Amino acid sequence: MTLPGRDAYRAELTALAETDERIICLEADLGGKKHPFAEAHPDRFFNIGIAEGAMVDMAVGLAAAGYRPFISTFAPFAALRATESLKLALGYIGAPITVVAPYAGVSGAWFGTTHHSLEDIGIVRTVPGVAIAAPHGEADMRAVVRHALETGRPHYIRTGRNAAYESLPGDAAGPGEVKWAARRPGGACLVSVGEEAARLCGEAESGLSHAVLTYVDNESLRTAAKELSRHHSTLIVVEEHRTAGSAAEALALLLPEAEVHSVSAGDQWPAQGGDHAETLAQVGLHPAALAAKTAETA
Amino acid sequence: MTTATEERTNALEERAKEARRLVVDMAASERGCHLGGSLSAMDLLIAALDGTRDEESKVVLSKGHAAAGLYAALHAMGILEEDPAPRYGLLGHPYTGHPGPKVPGVSFPTGSLGHGLPYAAGWALAQRLKGTGGRAVAIVGDGELQEGLIWETVQVAAARALGNLVILVDRNGGQNDGLVGDISPLPHLAERFAAFGCDTAEVDGHDLAALTRTLAAHDSPRPLAVVANTVKGKGVRAVEGKAASHYVVIDKARAEKWKKGIR
Repeated sequence: MTLPGRDAYRAELTALAETDERIICLEADLGGKKHPFAEAHPDRFFNIGIAEGAMVDMAVGLAAAGYRPFISTFAPFAALRATESLKLALGYIGAPITVVAPYAGVSGAWFGTTHHSLEDIGIVRTVPGVAIAAPHGEADMRAVVRHALETGRPHYIRTGRNAAYESLPGDAAGPGEVKWAARRPGGACLVSVGEEAARLCGEAESGLSHAVLTYVDNESLRTAAKELSRHHSTLIVVEEHRTAGSAAEALALLLPEAEVHSVSAGDQWPAQGGDHAETLAQVGLHPAALAAKTAETA
Repeated sequence: MTTATEERTNALEERAKEARRLVVDMAASERGCHLGGSLSAMDLLIAALDGTRDEESKVVLSKGHAAAGLYAALHAMGILEEDPAPRYGLLGHPYTGHPGPKVPGVSFPTGSLGHGLPYAAGWALAQRLKGTGGRAVAIVGDGELQEGLIWETVQVAAARALGNLVILVDRNGGQNDGLVGDISPLPHLAERFAAFGCDTAEVDGHDLAALTRTLAAHDSPRPLAVVANTVKGKGVRAVEGKAASHYVVIDKARAEKWKKGIR
């Protein structure tokens, strides 16, 4: 049974902390009552309370003293409420801090728009030096968490709520790498970013190549763009994010000779209930939208 | 007969005067500087730097616009070797209008108000985890206390019993657009910190003996908030207590005159 992204993060970090005394785990009242890290390493777990900005900034002080803080709160609060703290901490200071942000996209579904985050990648991507990952499934999340610890590079990792996804076989795509879920010569290529996008592409039966990107910061996209353009001149980028600030937007700039299309969230503010897929549909991200775009580019 | 403590205080007072003269030099640079707040915070900076000479302790100037004061204090205390005044604000040198970590003795970039205190709180938490006995002193402005991030952090620091964190408030009564009392007053300041769970003290922020004594005496599981009553522009009679001293550009002749009058 595969774990949802945030549970995979917690499990991996708890295991890593067995042998790495530098790891500190911080939460801002959204870590749940039975956090495995808190149970295994209570002396290095801090529920700071509902204080996202203070949490990010305190992580800077901890990192300056040699610790490796991993901090987590929902994506809308991590990437938007604490944006200035992230800019300074992860960008300017370049502190070895990892921010893990569940509830990304509209995975918060019926919780409503305050709990959605369709802007986070675009915002964080403008901050130089931050590795941005949207891992697909348990194995990829675990790999990204290990990579963040090993490299000490500031990371922003987005994931969903409670849905579990099976990572595709093979190693997770590292920064700048492309993981090919399906490889077919010629034609357009589906490029997925994140869990729901990979699911949509995988279920589309489009007959097209499918490339999975885990890292979508500018530096990674520059390298990945070269690999993608070696094989395909038409890309259909699928992502649970607004078009503004999307990976598609970045790839279009990086590949002026290519035809880059975006299947992403529009400018809507979902105002109805529904599950994750139904909320995705409210923002225009659904199988029919992908099928229409695929047909358009055929 | 002069005691060792008095001698130490006298020496610190001389360093504060030297640093104030450097601040005036920076006000006479092409760029000018945040003069009033640099001078009001000077004795706090000198006392804090003197009281945190161990490697496990840090001073964080959260009110980063007083960068000129910080650079001058670091130089006067022998932590920053080169004289920052002739290099202030110039290409090729790290002495920007708000401090960054390229300056020796500066660990964190500050200037966007509210961030220095949580940086210091994180450092204090780290030292407690390591059991070093190190501590952190954050110098915050009274205007800066209008930032929500300050109170988020005071809440966390009290809840986490960060007794090795000192919040040193430079209460000079001024802010960018005028007087704190006119814009968004902060009455009952010490009581506010006490209500959050801090130990509190109120001192004359230009009494170096009182400041060093207060910083040295604290031994408690509660963070210490020191409300230091200061005078904006302290040391330069022409600008003392004037809100307009917040940011000043002067010529060299005036700087020489002001420096001679520094008491």
